[in-house]
Amino acid sequence: MKISKKLYSYYLIWPALLIYSIFFVIPAITGLYYSFTDWRLDRESIIFIGWDNFERIFSDKTLLLALKNTFIFAVVTVIGKNLLGIALAVALNMKLKSKNILRAIFYSPSILSVLVISIVFTPMLRSDGTINRVLDAIGLHSLNQAWLTDPSIVIWTIAAVSIWQHVGFQMAIYLAGLQSISKDYYEAATIDGAGSWRSFRSITLPLLLPAININLMLTLIGGLKVFSEVFVLTGGGPGNASQVVGTIILRSFGEGSWGLGTAVNTLLFAVVTIIAIPLLIFMRRKEVSE
Amino acid sequence: MNDKMKKIATGILASVMTVSLAACGSGNTNSENASATDTGNNISGSKVTIELAISKSSQDSAFVAQDLLDEFEQKTNIKVNLQLIPAEQTATVLQTKLAVNETPDIIQYNLASATTDLNLERNFEILDNEPWVSRLLNKDVLSAYGHVYSFHVSQDTGMQGVVYNKDIFKDLGLTIPNNFEEFLAVCEKIKASGITPVFMPFKDAWAANIWPAAAFADYAAKHEPTIFDDINTGRKKWSDIPEFETFLQQQYDVYEKGYTNTDILSDSYDMAVGKFLEKEVAMMFMGDWLIENVSEKDPNMHLGLFAIPSSEDASLGGSPLGGQLFIPKKAKHMDEAKKFLDFIAIKEVAQKMVDDQGYVSNFSDVTTPELPEYKQEILDQYITPKKTILTTDAYMIVDRSELYRLLQDEFTGGLDPQGVLNAWDEKFSQLMKDKGVEGF
Repeated sequence: MKISKKLYSYYLIWPALLIYSIFFVIPAITGLYYSFTDWRLDRESIIFIGWDNFERIFSDKTLLLALKNTFIFAVVTVIGKNLLGIALAVALNMKLKSKNILRAIFYSPSILSVLVISIVFTPMLRSDGTINRVLDAIGLHSLNQAWLTDPSIVIWTIAAVSIWQHVGFQMAIYLAGLQSISKDYYEAATIDGAGSWRSFRSITLPLLLPAININLMLTLIGGLKVFSEVFVLTGGGPGNASQVVGTIILRSFGEGSWGLGTAVNTLLFAVVTIIAIPLLIFMRRKEVSE
Repeated sequence: MNDKMKKIATGILASVMTVSLAACGSGNTNSENASATDTGNNISGSKVTIELAISKSSQDSAFVAQDLLDEFEQKTNIKVNLQLIPAEQTATVLQTKLAVNETPDIIQYNLASATTDLNLERNFEILDNEPWVSRLLNKDVLSAYGHVYSFHVSQDTGMQGVVYNKDIFKDLGLTIPNNFEEFLAVCEKIKASGITPVFMPFKDAWAANIWPAAAFADYAAKHEPTIFDDINTGRKKWSDIPEFETFLQQQYDVYEKGYTNTDILSDSYDMAVGKFLEKEVAMMFMGDWLIENVSEKDPNMHLGLFAIPSSEDASLGGSPLGGQLFIPKKAKHMDEAKKFLDFIAIKEVAQKMVDDQGYVSNFSDVTTPELPEYKQEILDQYITPKKTILTTDAYMIVDRSELYRLLQDEFTGGLDPQGVLNAWDEKFSQLMKDKGVEGF
């Protein structure tokens, strides 16, 4: 009787599980299989080729560059979005008259489409664009750059644009975290003679850890899966300078190498999993220990 | 009461099932009858519907004008059903249809792209023996691998070279350059007048391919006609031909000598019309479609086209971009599809299409109408004296986007011409291997 009651509660999960299986689990498993094949639409048959696609990924300079760019983008955006997000949240958690307006202003870019951001930033980032003109006007000629066409800095520029766009979203999560911290802690710390920095380090940061964990995971997974920012701002160019794993997958499919594209996708899935899960476990432990 | 209800419900259910079974039976009979009638009619020449697949971006194509389709249907009792495919998915949708044997009877596509995207040899019918072929003036624009694979009444679509502003040339007393040195001299004079000689919109990587695509093909036709066969069978590499390196260097020299817009990697093709309208630039390596685009905005602009001056007396590049008609080998209505081409090739029908569209006729018995000035010049100076050459793209059977990116990389300073060719050799070899081409 008990068992049947327990089973009954699982019946409710079945529809969701079924849909999830059809649209995610089965495609993921078939994708894994196809990443070991030479799948191309212009071939009569699909042949199992073992690790060939993966060997090719690690011997292709462009694919390796794409991996490198993906990691640069992920690291830069994780650091940038979270440091700035915390800073903005702390600043806008203070008693300011304009804090609600400022919160809305900082959050607003994150609701815009990447396409709109691209349309706004592309002319601004030209050699003769607004950003360089402003730099010239304030005497910082040495900082003048070909932001989107210099291969050595293009991925950093795209990361900066992404930070600008999404930092408001991270700020909102940190704000929610900050507001859940009781003011009593700060009052006690003030009585004990702690300064702002000491309060931040000993009270805010530890109690903000759940929010930090969420934001770190979101920005890390988002950073490793980057596609749209690169696609709309540079298309992976100039040349292949800003290719990331996401654009390489698109390129592989465009070239008709569907098996290779699927293999790159599988690799991306593995990389995200290998990095994200241990990090999540580590951060959770820290959270508990605090 | 419950039992009563059950009985009533069973009765209703039984009635419904009986009625529906009867309806099914009736339906079957009807459809059988209809089928029999259809078959009977087919034997006696009943209506057949053929499917014509076309990208949504080409929905204004002359081949699918309603009056043409109506006339065809009226005369042959063959109906043409259009399959409009979203522009950005055309290649993928057609690849899928061909792969799963859901082939349309006719496809409108670009010949050069069909060779790379749609596996022309495997998927499409050779049309060498069709009755209209003997009347063609220029088989080349419809051919690949030595066979006629496509159909069009025009031979002038997609000519590529240097688009130039005739008024600027006239004002500065310039003549069309016949080789690279003369071209540089022309650039120098234009630059001295304060106008940007050449507009390079290389943010769009494909735009960097106009110069080499014509120059490579011109060199091959004049000096080594078997180059592309050798390259496509793995006997030669792109980097084995020193002249190819020279042509890439030439284009880079034009930029390095300061004859272009400064921010070539930020400027895109969609800025070109404005640049010409504002007379900010005098020339651009592009196709004649740019002239059409500019003329639409300002009919008083006098633009012309001359061959890429990569070597002495070069031919004008030709890429059949207008969209030709192809018949898949697995077309369900092969004969009817061929009848559609035969119908358009009828002298009167082709003449009307050529007149309406301002085409340069590709049929010996169809007269080319009065053309816009620039088109007439192209006809007189290049097409009639047979000084056109299919651009290199027509000979490459793999996706070319990586080549375009490598060309773009030359202008970031990341690769020199030799580096571009070496990297393309590597990629080309891999792509050919992927396609299962022998020799790779």
